[in-house]
This record gives sequence, C-alpha cells and structure tokens, in this order.
Amino acid sequence: MSTIASVDLQTLGDAFGQGAIYALMAVGIGLVFGVLRLVNFAYGQLIMAGAYTLAYTSGWPVAASIVSCFAVVVTLSLAMDRLVFRPLRGSSPAVMLVTTFAVSFFLQALALIIDLRDGTLGQIASSVAPLNQAVSVGGVDVRKVTFVAVGVAVGALVALALVLARTTIGLHTRAAASDFRTARLLGVRANRVIAFAVVVSGLLAGAVAVLLTVQNPFVQPDFALEDTIIVLVGVVVGGIDRLWTATLGGFAIGFVSVLVNAALPTDKTVFLPSVVYALVIVVLLLRPAGLFAWGRRAAVERV
Amino acid sequence: MPEAAALELDGIEVRYGSVSAVRDLTLSVGKGEIVGLIGPNGAGKSTTLHAIMGLLPAHRGEIRLHGQSLRRRSAEAIARAGIALVPEGRRIFGDFTVEENLRLGLAARRQAYIGDALGPAFELFPILAEFRRRQAGALSGGQQQQLAIGRALVARPDILLLDEPSLGLAPLAVDGIFQAFTEIREVGTTILLVEQRAQRTVALANRTHVLVGGELQMTLGPADAEDTDKIIAAYLAS
Amino acid sequence: MSRRLDTLTELLGPAVIVILVGALATTASASNEVYFLNALVFVAIVVAIYVFVGISGVLSFGQISFVAVGAFAAGVMTVPVDSKKGVLTSVFPLLRDHSVGNVPSLLLAAGLGGVFAFVVGLPLMRLSGLAAGIATFAVLEITHNVLREWTKIGPGATTLALVPETTGALQATLGALVAIVVAFLYQRSRRGRLLRASREDPAVARSVGVNIHLERLLAFTLSGALAGFAGALYVHLLGSITTEQVYLELTFLTLAMLVVGGLTSLWGAVIGALGVSGLDSFLSRAEQSHVHVVLTFTLWQGTRLVFLAAIMALVLILRPSGLTGGRELRLRWSLRRGRG
Repeated sequence: MSTIASVDLQTLGDAFGQGAIYALMAVGIGLVFGVLRLVNFAYGQLIMAGAYTLAYTSGWPVAASIVSCFAVVVTLSLAMDRLVFRPLRGSSPAVMLVTTFAVSFFLQALALIIDLRDGTLGQIASSVAPLNQAVSVGGVDVRKVTFVAVGVAVGALVALALVLARTTIGLHTRAAASDFRTARLLGVRANRVIAFAVVVSGLLAGAVAVLLTVQNPFVQPDFALEDTIIVLVGVVVGGIDRLWTATLGGFAIGFVSVLVNAALPTDKTVFLPSVVYALVIVVLLLRPAGLFAWGRRAAVERV
Repeated sequence: MPEAAALELDGIEVRYGSVSAVRDLTLSVGKGEIVGLIGPNGAGKSTTLHAIMGLLPAHRGEIRLHGQSLRRRSAEAIARAGIALVPEGRRIFGDFTVEENLRLGLAARRQAYIGDALGPAFELFPILAEFRRRQAGALSGGQQQQLAIGRALVARPDILLLDEPSLGLAPLAVDGIFQAFTEIREVGTTILLVEQRAQRTVALANRTHVLVGGELQMTLGPADAEDTDKIIAAYLAS
Repeated sequence: MSRRLDTLTELLGPAVIVILVGALATTASASNEVYFLNALVFVAIVVAIYVFVGISGVLSFGQISFVAVGAFAAGVMTVPVDSKKGVLTSVFPLLRDHSVGNVPSLLLAAGLGGVFAFVVGLPLMRLSGLAAGIATFAVLEITHNVLREWTKIGPGATTLALVPETTGALQATLGALVAIVVAFLYQRSRRGRLLRASREDPAVARSVGVNIHLERLLAFTLSGALAGFAGALYVHLLGSITTEQVYLELTFLTLAMLVVGGLTSLWGAVIGALGVSGLDSFLSRAEQSHVHVVLTFTLWQGTRLVFLAAIMALVLILRPSGLTGGRELRLRWSLRRGRG
C-alpha cells in the first residue's frame, strides 16, 4: 500500500474520530437549547470538570474513575440548571448567552484555584491513557481512541434517538423543544423535561471528557474550551433548531477541520482557522437557517 | 343553584400591563353543561380562557375548579387538575404523527387506564385511528381540529375549554365538530366554548354569555338562537 | 421642556461621569492611575459595541476585530522608524519605513476600522439572530488568525512593543467623550431612531419602507470606526500589545460589560464599562495586597476571576435587563412617571 493512501486513511480515521466527539458535544448543546432556548457556552466547563475528575482519580481503578467523572459532570450540569438556567428562563437570548460566559469563566477560575493547590498548573489524567495506543489495521496506524470515539458516538446517538422516539419522556422532550407553551398546556411537566435534557447533556459531556482526556491527558482550566467554541459554531452552521441538524453540524465541523488541515500545505496550516471560518461565513450566508435545515416540509423529527 | 359548579369565575379581572382586557367577569359552568362565550374580536374571550388555564394571572377575583381555587397554579398543573384547553389555531405538532400528538394529551391524564388509552379520541373521531401513523401536519384543517380536540379528550378532563374551534374550517367540518360537542357532553364532560359563530353556539349551549369590551353584556338561552336581532343587539351594546 | 431636559441628561450623564473618572485619574497615584485610564478606554470600546449591538439588537461577537485592527494599525504606525527596523523585520516596506504621530494614528485606526466593518458588513448584515452572532464571531477568528500569522502586516505572534504611551488622562477622557458624543448623535438621528424601531419590530419597520440591511450596515460601520479608534486608544495606553489581548477574553468581557450595564442604552454601556472595570480593579488591588509568596499570589489571582464572574452572573440572573434596566439616564424621572 502506498504511503499517500495510508496517510489519507489515517487522516480519514482522525477526521471521523474528531467528528464523532464533536457530534456528541453538539447533541449535548442542542438538547439543552431545544428545551431552554439557551446556548450554553459553559458546556465546555462540564467537560473540563470531568477531565479534572479523571485526573484526580488517576490512582483509582479505571471504571471507578470513569464513574466518578460521570457523577461529577451530571451533578454540575444539574446544579447549573438549578442555579443559573432556571432563574434565567424567559430572558433574552443575549442575556442567557452572556450569563453562561460568566459561568464559564467562573468555573475556569475555580478550576485554576483547585489546580494550583499543588503549585503547578495542569494535571495528568493517566488512567485512561492506554486507549491512546495505536493499533494497526491493514497497515494503517489508527489510535484505539478513534474506534472508541466513533463507537461511543454511534452508540450514544442511536440510544438517544430510540429514547426520543419511543419513550414518553422522549416524546415530551420533543414536544417541549418544538412548542414549549403548548406542551405545558397539555400537562407536560416542564421541570421533568428540562431535567431530562440537562442530565442527558451531562452524560454526554462526561463521555466527551473521557474521550478528550485520552487524546490529550494534560488537563488545564481551559480544557475543551476551544472545542466547545468550534462545536457551537458547527451547531449553528448545521442548524440549531433541530437536534439532528445540530449534531450533523458538530460532526461536519470536526470532520472538515481535520481534512482541511491535512489538505493545506504544511507552511500554510497556521491559516487553518481562517479557511474554516471563511467556510462558516459562506455557509451562513447561503443557508442562514442551517446547512442541513431543509424546507419545513421535510419529514424530520424536530427537537 | 347546583352544589359546587364544575368551574366558577368569580369577579375576575385580567390585565395586559395597565389595560384590563377582562373586567369583573363572573360566570359558572355546571357539570355536564355546555356554556358558550361569544362576542366581537378583542372582547376578552380568549383572555378569559387563558386566565382559567393559568397562562395569564387574574389580577382580581378567583377562579375555582370544583370549589377549589386555581390561584398561582401553573398551566401544566391546571391541565393535570382536569381542565383541557383546545387552543386557538389548534397548535398540533405538525412534525409528529397523529398518534404521537394524541399520546401527548395523556401527559395530563390523572387515572391509570386499561385498554387503549387513546380510545376516547378514536371513538369520537374514527378518522384519527385510520390516520394514526400519518404526520399530523398532513391532515386537513378539519381533521387537525379533530386531532386537537381528541388530544384534549384522551386526558379525560372534567372541563374542556375550546377557543374558536370552528375558525377557518369548511362548513361541513364545522357541522362535524359541533356534532362532536353534543357527543362530548353526553359522556359528562363539561364544556366552555368560545366561538364566533354566535347563532350555532347559542343554539347548542345551555347558556351563552355575550362578552363585549371585557364585560359580560348579556346571557342568552337556546330559545334565543332564532332571535338574530337580540344577538346582534348584544354585540353592539358597547 | 422636559423632553429637552431628557435629551440633555442622556448626553450629559455619561459625559459628566467620564469626566469625573478622568479627573480622578489625575489625582490618583501613578500605580492607580492606570486603572482609571483602563476604565475610560473600556468605555470607548463598550460604547462602540453598543452603537451596533445595542441599537440594532443584532448580536455581534466581531466588534473586537475592529478594535484589534485599530490597535495594531495605530501601534505599528507609531513605533518610531528607527526602532521598527529591529522589531518589525518582515513587514511591508511601506509600513516599515513610515511612522505617523499620535492623532493621525487615532484617525487612521478609526478609518481602517470603519472600512473593514463596512466591507465585512456588506454581506453579513443580511443575517440576524444566532447566525449573525456566529458569522461575526467567524470574522473575529479570521482577524485574529491573520493578525497573528501574517508577519508582513505586523508583529505576528510576538509582542508589538515600543508604542508611544500617549493615552494619558486627557486622551483617555477625550477619547471616551468622543465615542459617547458620536453614539449620542447617532442614536438621536433619524437613522438611529429608525434602526432602533426596527429592533423593536422588524416587520413593521420594513413595511414602512425602512431598509434594515442598509441601516444595520451604517451602524456596523460606525461601530467599527469607533472600535478602531478605541483600539488605538488602547494600544497607546498599554504601550505594547499581542493579538491575544484583543481576542476572545476582551470580546466576552466587553459584551458582559454591555449586558451588565444594560444592553439597550448608552447610559448602560457607560455604567457597565465603568462598573465592571471598577470592580475588576478593586479585586486586583485586593489580590495584590495579599501577596506574600508566589503561590499565594497566583492563588489570589484565581479568586479575583471567581468573584468577578460570580458577580456578573448574579447581576444578570437578578437583573436581566442590566444595572440601568437598559434605560437612559433621566432626571425628574419619578415626576414624569407621576404624570403618566
């Protein structure tokens, strides 16, 4: 097999892995947006909290470490809803977004204080590191985490799609995302639906924390911040009004970033952000409602 | 007077900011009755329904369900207490299937159910059973209205509030839903009907109140249905 | 009569408070003066953002791009020619061999900011809502990326140093005043009022013939010019600058100032900028007074941000329309209310 082909396959694998992780984040952000109409900029800090938990429990058995990561993230997610999102219900989108900026900075600053107790900045999350080893598939080196990321993403998305389609809470969540006022008129419990969205969004953040620390075990207060910004962009580009277009948007921006990075000449990769964001602008101008948001007539589920 | 009326409005006032849309409105709906509420646009009919449902606060006065005050209860709580609103414009979930729309109505259901929970809707409107797997948005206007009513009924509410259910429907479809109201009354469900079709409403309802400029103007009985002049006079009374 | 008074307080309120802060700056110790000057420059930046975001109601994360362009233009063009040969080795000869004075650099920054905003706004002003927010954010990312990596127009990722520190108490105060007066004149003008009306109800505004795209573009351009100007003030205050200083953090901080103050009024923009910078200065003073060893210092650094973020979040949760409620300053306000 030629070198070029193997490099391409490797890039493709990385692109799928990155896309999968971003898709998970997009679902987490999109679910909460669906029921609360709130763009949660502080979503990345949920992931950051999970990553720190993994770092501080590095000595524990891997399973215990991962479970505690999920526990911390879901608790924090619920606390965020109770203390911040609930009082903000009904505020203007700008106020909600800026408040989540403040929450994001608050959590980063808090992490800084906790992190610096030992006098150095950054902690290593080593327990899940074995997943980062490369495995050879037909002569191509692919990191295990790529498979895990794609597997986790597909599994989580299928499970969520089933829950949304088949269960009562899923039906209520979809209804609330589509028309909250009418849903409440029908007796749908707002707090229950929101709690469901917030918990699922937290679980997804926990999963992303595990996957990202495998890729990059060095955890700092700004962990996942950049990823979150990129995913937020991807979610809006894809179409934030529906969960599946938001998810596709997240996947696409992760996937495309890796491919563009590989396609650019080495001395021009520093301009990767410019290329990606120029694409973003073009897409937004052509399809302001979202790249994947086809006409309202399309028979798609709305969340 | 019957013991405790199913639904009582006792001197309520509803405001939008400093403007009061409904003033000193008192009326009661007895169990198993159909009570009509008619009046010109902007008379405060929908506002009254929204106040009952807890979507708007009553600035003054009291709304009681079976003698119990509904003050400070949220719309979702009131729905689960046994009042169902079929909102103006139907508000069905067009992207969902007919069956999913009906299952949403079960959110307010109080008792457990045996057999087909969606039965009440299917018995009244067999077409919904036939189209249960279809997208609700693909139904005709009349069928969508049937779906909206069916969705409210599967919760087995004590009281059904209807906000201009005949709006925008073809004459045949209007006949269909007015027929359905009679059948709904027969199973003991109480109805408060807000309508623009004054004559039909007066003919159907046990009592029909005429609301003008937010105030109760006149109350008509079924016998007044043929008395067009009287109805018109009530509308113009402001 | 009362209307004329309102007009007067709408301008004089922000102006007087800015002059007061400027006067305080001259009496403060040298180490404290910078806090006051910083607050005044933030007033200019936040007012610039307000001119577009506050009046049009369209969210933009891109206004700091124009601050960045203004800061680097003014910075690069005022470093003395002799020093440039050493620090800006790879820039275009035109930039390397020429320098301008303080005032021309301010005008240049305003002009470049305005032109850049106009060019960007031409296509982007058709967007609104989240799409507008993300597209303007993309502009910020591209601006930052190009400024950071393209060493032919500036210092790239390195620090631009040796910029004359001309933003003293006088320039900071005058600069903030200029921003306030321009914003005031614009929001009182016919065009400004049209745009604000379109914010309340775009459909109605369109139906009476308001060209929303054009009005937004004008506001965006004006905002860009003011932002470029404010960027020049900023670089002349700091004396040295990196691209990171006019990027994400500044974007979030200044937007937070605007929202905390009250998004929809000039008074809110000024109060938010002064209030949050004041709080930040107070907290960093408090933190420095606790310096014992390196460790406690850094520990307290985190604490300052925790407090700042928590207070901003609290204000927004408890008072979503901002400290001023998004209203302009009104004297005899209670009297007017009494009359209905």
